[in-house]
Amino acid sequence: MKTLLLQSVTILHPESSFNKKAADVLITNGKITAIGSSVKSPGNADVIDCKGKYLSPGFFDLNANFFEPGFETKEGLESGSVAAAAGGFTGVAIMPNTQPAVQSKSEVSYILNRTKGNLVDVYPLGAISQNREGKDLAELYDMHLAGAVAFTDGNKPVADSGLMSRALLYAKGFDGLVFSYAEDLQIAGKGKMNEGRMSTYLGMKGIPALAEEIMVARDIYLAEYNDARIHFSTISAAGSVALIRAAKKKGLKVTCDVAAHHLVLTEDLLEGFDSNYKVKPPLRTREDVKALLKGLNDGTIDVVVSQHTPHEIEFKDVEFEIASYGITGLQTVLPLLLKAGLAPEAIAEKLAVNPRTILGLPVPELNEGAEANFVVFDPTAEWELNSQTNRSKSTNTPFFNQELTGRVIVVCNNGQVNL
Amino acid sequence: MAEQSQTLSSKHLLGIKDLNTRDIELIFETADTFKDVLNRPIKKVPSLRDVTIANIFFENSTRTRLSFELAQKRLSADTVNFAASSSSVSKGETLVDTVNNILAMKVDMVVMRHPYAGAGVFLSKHIDAHIVNAGDGAHEHPTQALLDAFSIREKYGDVAGKKVAIIGDILHSRVALSNILCLQKLGAEVMVCGPTTLIPKYIHTLGVKIEHDLLKALNWCDVANMLRIQLERQDIKYFPSLREYSMLYGLNKKILDSLDKEITVMHPGPINRGVEITSDVADSKQSIILDQVENGVAIRMAVLYLLAGQSS
Repeated sequence: MKTLLLQSVTILHPESSFNKKAADVLITNGKITAIGSSVKSPGNADVIDCKGKYLSPGFFDLNANFFEPGFETKEGLESGSVAAAAGGFTGVAIMPNTQPAVQSKSEVSYILNRTKGNLVDVYPLGAISQNREGKDLAELYDMHLAGAVAFTDGNKPVADSGLMSRALLYAKGFDGLVFSYAEDLQIAGKGKMNEGRMSTYLGMKGIPALAEEIMVARDIYLAEYNDARIHFSTISAAGSVALIRAAKKKGLKVTCDVAAHHLVLTEDLLEGFDSNYKVKPPLRTREDVKALLKGLNDGTIDVVVSQHTPHEIEFKDVEFEIASYGITGLQTVLPLLLKAGLAPEAIAEKLAVNPRTILGLPVPELNEGAEANFVVFDPTAEWELNSQTNRSKSTNTPFFNQELTGRVIVVCNNGQVNL
Repeated sequence: MAEQSQTLSSKHLLGIKDLNTRDIELIFETADTFKDVLNRPIKKVPSLRDVTIANIFFENSTRTRLSFELAQKRLSADTVNFAASSSSVSKGETLVDTVNNILAMKVDMVVMRHPYAGAGVFLSKHIDAHIVNAGDGAHEHPTQALLDAFSIREKYGDVAGKKVAIIGDILHSRVALSNILCLQKLGAEVMVCGPTTLIPKYIHTLGVKIEHDLLKALNWCDVANMLRIQLERQDIKYFPSLREYSMLYGLNKKILDSLDKEITVMHPGPINRGVEITSDVADSKQSIILDQVENGVAIRMAVLYLLAGQSS
C-alpha cells in the first residue's frame, strides 16, 4: 500500500486526544505511523491537503442488502463492497434477505470466506427463523460461532410473539443480539405507502404508523420480560421514537437505527407514483422526520443505516403497486445526513462508533501504531451520482443523476486504500 | 360542430387532478354540443374519423367500456378492445409492453382501466399516445366524476354552492375521490357518509365533511350520490353483512319522503337494488340515474374530441 500523508485533517474520534482538532496523519503499510500537529512527509508519500475535511473511523452499516447468494443480478458481495467503500464504509452488516437465507453456519462462512481481507469487512447477519418463515428458530448459536454478528429475519417481521420472545431469550444465553424489524402485517394490510394525507389523495391503502409502533411496543415488552438486549431496525414513526425513548429512560437494553432516507424524504414525494420512493417502512410525514431528527440528537436513535436495497430496473420501473421496495443507498448516506443537518462529529458517532459498539466490535483507533481503518470526507464538496460514479449494480434511487453535497475522499482498511 | 379553438391544459386525462376549472368548463360546453347531437336522428359526427382508439381493460367493466365505445363510434373513430383479467396483470408481459404492442398497430389513443392506482400516470411516462383513465384502482375515475358534475349542472344550472353527499364505500372508491376533487373545483360542498370502516382515516385532509348518520347526511345535502357497494373490491370484511349495511345506509322511499326538502339521487351504477338503494327510490322522479348514463356518452365524446384535437 502507498504511503499517505493527510495534512490538516480534522480528527473525529471520542478517544483521540486530537478529537475535533486538525492534525497531520501519516499512513504507512496500512498502519497509522504518525499523528501530530505537523508531521514531515517521508518523501515517498502521497500528500493530501485535508483542510476542511474530516477523518473518522470507517463508517459501519448495520443494514445493507448484497443479495448474494440468490439475487446476484441486483448486487453481489463484490459490487456491494465496492459501493460501500465508495460511500465511506469499511464495515457492513448484511441482511439475510438471500436465497437461501443466511440461516446456518455454511451461509455465514460462505460470506466471510468470499469477503475476507477486502477493503470492506462484511459481517453476516443470521436469520432468526428457518427460511425466515417465522416458525422455528434457526441455529443461532452455531451461526454466532461462525461469525454472524446479530440476528434478524431481514425484511420479514417476526409476527409470532412467542418466537420473538424465545429468540431474545435464547440469544441472550451467548450474549447474542436480536434485531427487530417492527411491522404488524395485519395492521399494514395491503398498504404500499404511509397512511396519511398523500395515501388518501392517491386513493391508495396506507400502512399506518401504528403497524410499526404496535410491534415496537410489543418487542420492548418482550425484551424487558426476558431481560434481553434488542435492537430496532429502521424505525420511521414518531411514535416509535417516543416508545424507545421511554424504554431507554427506564434502563432497558434497547438500541435502534434509522435509514438515512427517512431523515430527508417524506410521503409527499409519492404524488407522481415514482416507485423510487417506494420503501419499507414507508416514507412518513414531516412530523415523523422531525421526531426522528430529534431522536438522533437526544441519543434515542443510536445509528443511521443505508438500508441499501438494490433492485433491477424490471422490479422498479413498473406500476407502483407491484414495484419492489427499497433504495440503493450506500453511496448517499453521507450526503443525506449532511442534508438532514447532522454535524460531522454526529456523523462519526452515528455511522462509525455506535454501530460497532452495538455489535460489540472494536471501534478502530486513530492512534500511532493502529491499523488504519478510516474514512476522510469533505462535507462541502459536491458530486453527482450517475452512471459514472455509481458503484452498485443497481440504480434504484431518487438521487440518481442528482447533485449531492458531501463527498468521500479517502477510505482505508485492511492495508488497502481507495482514493 | 364549431371549429375547435380551445384545448385542455393536459395531454392526458389521468385524473381530475390534471384539470383546472377552465378545462372542466370546456369539457362541459363541448359535452353540451354533443348531447344535442345525440338527440338528433343522425347521432354520428365525423370529428374523429381516421383516429384509432384502443380500449384496454385490465379489469372487468361493461358499462364504462360500452359508454366509451359508443362515444367513440358517435365520433366516427375506429376502435379496438383489449381485455385482460386483473389476475393476470402482475404476471407475464409488462403493462408498457402490452400497450406498446397495441400502439405499434398505429393506435392514436388509449382508454385504460387498471386495478392499480397510478397505472395511467406510470404509463404516461412511457408512451406518447393520449391516455384516458377509465379507472385506476381506488385512485381516479375522471370521466365518471365529470359526468356526475355535468348531471348536477344540468339539473340545477350550476354546481357551485351545491351540497353533495357521497354515500357508501369511500375507502375503495375511485368514483368518490374523483367526485370530491371535481365538485370542489367547481365550488360545491362535499360530504362523505358511510360505515366508519369504509371512510379513510385521513379523508378530512381533502376538505370534506364526514358523517356516519345517513339521515343527517340526507338532511344536509342537495344531491345524494349513492355508491355501489363493491364487495369484490374488499379483500377483507369491513362490515358484517349486506343486510346490516342496508339497514344503516340503504336509501329507501320512506327516508326520502321524511326529508323536509326534495333532494336529487344519483348512482354511478350498476345498482344493487335493495342494498344501497331501493327500487322505488331508483325509479323515482328524484333519481337522475339514467340521465347520468346518457350524459356519460356526451362527456366521453367531449373528452376524446378535445384530447384528439391537441395532436391535429
